[in-house]
Amino acid sequence: MATKIYDSKNIKEKLYYRKMDSGLKVYYIPKEGYTKQYAIFATEYGSIDNIFTPRGETNKIEVPEGIAHFLEHKLFESPDNNIFDKFSQLGADVNAYTNFNRTAYLFSSTENFYESLGLLIDFVQSPYFTDENVEKEKGIIAQEINMYLDSPGWRVYFNCLKAMYYNHPVKIDIAGTVDSIQGITKELLYKCYNTFYNPSNMVLFVIGDLDFENIIEVVDKHENKSKTEVEEIHRFFPEEPKIIKEKLVEENMLISTPVFYIGFKDLDVNLTGEKLVKSDLITDMILDILFGTSSKFYNDLYEEGLIDSSFGAVYTGDKTYGHSLIVGESKEPKTVYNKVLELIKRPVEDLFTEADFERIKRKTMGDFLMGLNSVEFVGNNFIDLYFSDFMIVDYLDLLENIRYEDIIDRFNSHLKEDNVVLSIIKPLEK
Amino acid sequence: MNLKSERINIGNGVNLNLVKTNKFKSNLLSFYFLRPLSKDEVTKNALLPLVLKRGTKELPNNLLIQKNLEENYGADMSISVNKRGEKHILRFTIETVNGDYIGDKNYIYDVVELLKSIVYNPVAEKGSFKKDYVEQEKENLKRRIEGRINDKRAYALDRCIEEMCRNEKYSIYPLGNIADLENIDEEILFKHYQEVIKTSPIEIFYVGDYDDNMVQYIKELPDTNRGNILSLPREQIISGVKTKNMVSEDLDVTQGKFVLGFRTGIPYEDSLYRGLIVGSDILGGGPNSKLFKNVREKESLAYYITSTIHKYKSLMLVDGGIEFSNFEKTIDIVKEQITEIQNGNFTDEDIEVSKKSIISSTESIKDSIFLISEYFFSQNLSKDERSLEQIIDDINSVTKKEIVDAMSRVILDTIYFMKNSKLQN
Repeated sequence: MATKIYDSKNIKEKLYYRKMDSGLKVYYIPKEGYTKQYAIFATEYGSIDNIFTPRGETNKIEVPEGIAHFLEHKLFESPDNNIFDKFSQLGADVNAYTNFNRTAYLFSSTENFYESLGLLIDFVQSPYFTDENVEKEKGIIAQEINMYLDSPGWRVYFNCLKAMYYNHPVKIDIAGTVDSIQGITKELLYKCYNTFYNPSNMVLFVIGDLDFENIIEVVDKHENKSKTEVEEIHRFFPEEPKIIKEKLVEENMLISTPVFYIGFKDLDVNLTGEKLVKSDLITDMILDILFGTSSKFYNDLYEEGLIDSSFGAVYTGDKTYGHSLIVGESKEPKTVYNKVLELIKRPVEDLFTEADFERIKRKTMGDFLMGLNSVEFVGNNFIDLYFSDFMIVDYLDLLENIRYEDIIDRFNSHLKEDNVVLSIIKPLEK
Repeated sequence: MNLKSERINIGNGVNLNLVKTNKFKSNLLSFYFLRPLSKDEVTKNALLPLVLKRGTKELPNNLLIQKNLEENYGADMSISVNKRGEKHILRFTIETVNGDYIGDKNYIYDVVELLKSIVYNPVAEKGSFKKDYVEQEKENLKRRIEGRINDKRAYALDRCIEEMCRNEKYSIYPLGNIADLENIDEEILFKHYQEVIKTSPIEIFYVGDYDDNMVQYIKELPDTNRGNILSLPREQIISGVKTKNMVSEDLDVTQGKFVLGFRTGIPYEDSLYRGLIVGSDILGGGPNSKLFKNVREKESLAYYITSTIHKYKSLMLVDGGIEFSNFEKTIDIVKEQITEIQNGNFTDEDIEVSKKSIISSTESIKDSIFLISEYFFSQNLSKDERSLEQIIDDINSVTKKEIVDAMSRVILDTIYFMKNSKLQN
C-alpha cells in the first residue's frame, strides 16, 4: 500500500502514513537532529468501555471496574522472560498508560530503535495470562489504588465526576477499586483483549530521527497477519440524564488547605472529528479568557487571597461525555464557587472582547508550537486527536479558523448554573 | 549533535552561558541566583521570586504581565526555588516561540526585556516592595509550606532527609518555615532583595537561536553596584554513621510509605561516584532493578519502589509504598538486596542494562531546551568540566569492582515510616 505524506508548512513538520495488511495504521513524524525516538502503540479502549459485546459472541457483558488498566499491566507478561527486561537490555524505556478511553504502550530510546519497535509490536500482540500471574498482579494494583486514595487531587477529581454523572462510566476510577479488581480473571482478560486489541482498531505512531521505510519493514515483519479486519466493536453506554446528579460533594482528608473542583457537565455531546476537537479548543479558550491568569476574575480573587497559582480551568471532552473543570485550592471554596456563578450570569458583552479572543488565540498557538518540541507531547497528543478522528498536523489550521462568534455561541450554551457541581476535600476535623 | 555552552563573564560574578541550537521551535532564557541554604535567609529567598513575579515598573500588576505574555504568543514564564545540595537556587525563566513560526523575528526582545524587568525592575518605592504583594505572597507561601503533606511521597522523602541530616544545612526545607514569615515585611524583604542582586553569583542561560545583537542585549544589565560576591562552599560529606534513627509518623493515610536513608560518603568528585550511580540503578533504578523485581514483581508488596542518589550530599534514598503490615518484610528484602550487590551477586547484564538506562537519559537531555540549561547549570555548580560525551564514556567505563566497592560503603542511617494506627491492615 502506498505511503501518504501530509506536509504542514505552518508547523514545519511532515506526517507519513501507511495502512498495513492487518489493517493497522502507522504514522511517523521525522524529527531531524533529535536524539530520542518515541513509539506509541495504542488502542481505543479505556476504563469507560465497561459494557460491550465480546468478539464472536452475541450478548453484551459488563466487566469489573478497572479491567482495561489491569490488562495493560498484564500485557507485560510473557512465558519466557519479562518484557521489561527485554526493553532494558536494549536500553529502551518502556511504559504504558490507561485513561478513560485509550490504552497506550510506548517506549523511548536513543539506540536500538528498530529492535525495540519490533518488541513493542510483539508483546502487545502476545497476551499471556495465567491464573497465577493474574492473582499476583492484584497486590501490586491494590497498592497503586491505595496510592491514589492518598492523593487529594485525585479524590477531589473523581468526587466531582461522581457528582456530575449518574450512569456514565467516566465516573468510575480508572484502576477500579481494591474490591472490583478481585473479580478479574484470565478468561475475562482474554475476552477484553480479543475484542479491543485488533490491529484494525489500533494505531502505531513513531517520532524521531528515523526512516519511514525501515519502520514499515519492522512493522510488516512483526505484525500479526492472521488478524483480519473486524467489524465494528459494540460498546454500550447507559443512558445519561441531561442533568447533574449532586450539586455538592464534600469529604475530609489529611490536607492543609481545602481543594475544590467546580464541574460544568457538557450536555452537547456525541461529537466526533473536527467538530469535537474544535468544540474542545473553543471551550478551553473561553475558560482561558474567563479564568486564566490574565483574567480579571483570577486577579481579583488572587488579590483577595481566595485563590493562588494552583487555580486553573480546563475542558475535557470525548465522544460520549465532556466537562469543564475549574480547580484550585482555597480557604473558602464555596465563595469561589459563588463568584464563578455570579460571573457566568453576567451579560456576554461584559465578559468577552475581540481583543481578549485574539490574545488567547495567540497564546494557544504558541503553547501548541512549543509543545511540538517534545516527542512525548507530540506522541500523546497525536494519539488523543487520532482517536477523535483528527490529525495533529491540522491543529493549527483549525485554531486559526476559530471565530469570535464561536466563542460566544458556545459560552451561551455550556456554562450554565443548572449543570454545575462543586466537589471539595476539606482538612480533617481537629 | 555535540552540545556546547559558551560561558562568558559579563560582570562581577555574573556569567552568560550561550547554547546555540536551531533544533527547537522556541528559545529559552534563564537567570539563576545562587544563595547559601541557611536558616537565616531561606524563607526570604523563597518569598522573593513570588513577589518579584507580581509586577515590574512598566507592568505593575500580574494582569498586565500575563496579558503581555499572552500577546507574545504565550511566552511561558516560570520561577522556582530549590535546593541543590546546600545551595539555595532562585530561578527565573522565560521560554518563547521562535519568531520563524509567527513571522516576527523581533518580538523576542520584548520577552527578554520582560524577564530582565521581573528580576531587576520590580514595583517598589522608597526602599520597599508593595505591601499588598508581600502580604499576599506571605500567605500563599504559608499555604504552600503547610501543603507539603498533600504529596505524601515527596513529604516522606523530605521528612527522612530532615531527620537524617538534622545537624546539617541539607535538612532545611527550601520553601522556608512559617515562623519566619511573621518577621518579614516589605522593607525587610526589599533589603534582602538588594543583597541578593548585589552579592549572589549569577548564571544566565540562553538556549536557542541568537545573534550578536541578542547577546549584546542580554549583556546589558542594570548597574547594581555589585560588591563582595558570596563564595559558596562545597557541602560537607559525612561518611560514618554514629547512631541509627528510626522515625515513624502516624497519619491519616491509606498507604504506608517508607524511606531508607543511607550515607555513602562518596563525593561526586571521586571516580567511585560513577560506580555508586550504576549501583543504585541496579538496586532500584528501573523495572530491571533488584528492588522492582523482588519487592514488586516477586512479592507483590509495592507499586513503586526506587533508589535515588542525592549528588551533593552523597546520600542514597530508597522509598516505596506498601501495606502497613508489610513494613518489616519489605525492609528485610531491601537490606537483603543491598547485601547481594555488596557481595557481587549481580550479572554483567545487570550492569549493561543500568549503564544503558543512565546513558539514555543523559543523551535525552539534548532534546529538551530546559534540560539543556539545567544540565549546564549543574555542571557549573559542581565545577565539572566534562562534556556530555565524556560523562557518558565515564559511565561506560564503570567496572563491577567499582560498583561493589561503592555499594559496600553504603551505610543505613535513618528509617522513616508513614503509618496509620487506625488502619493497621
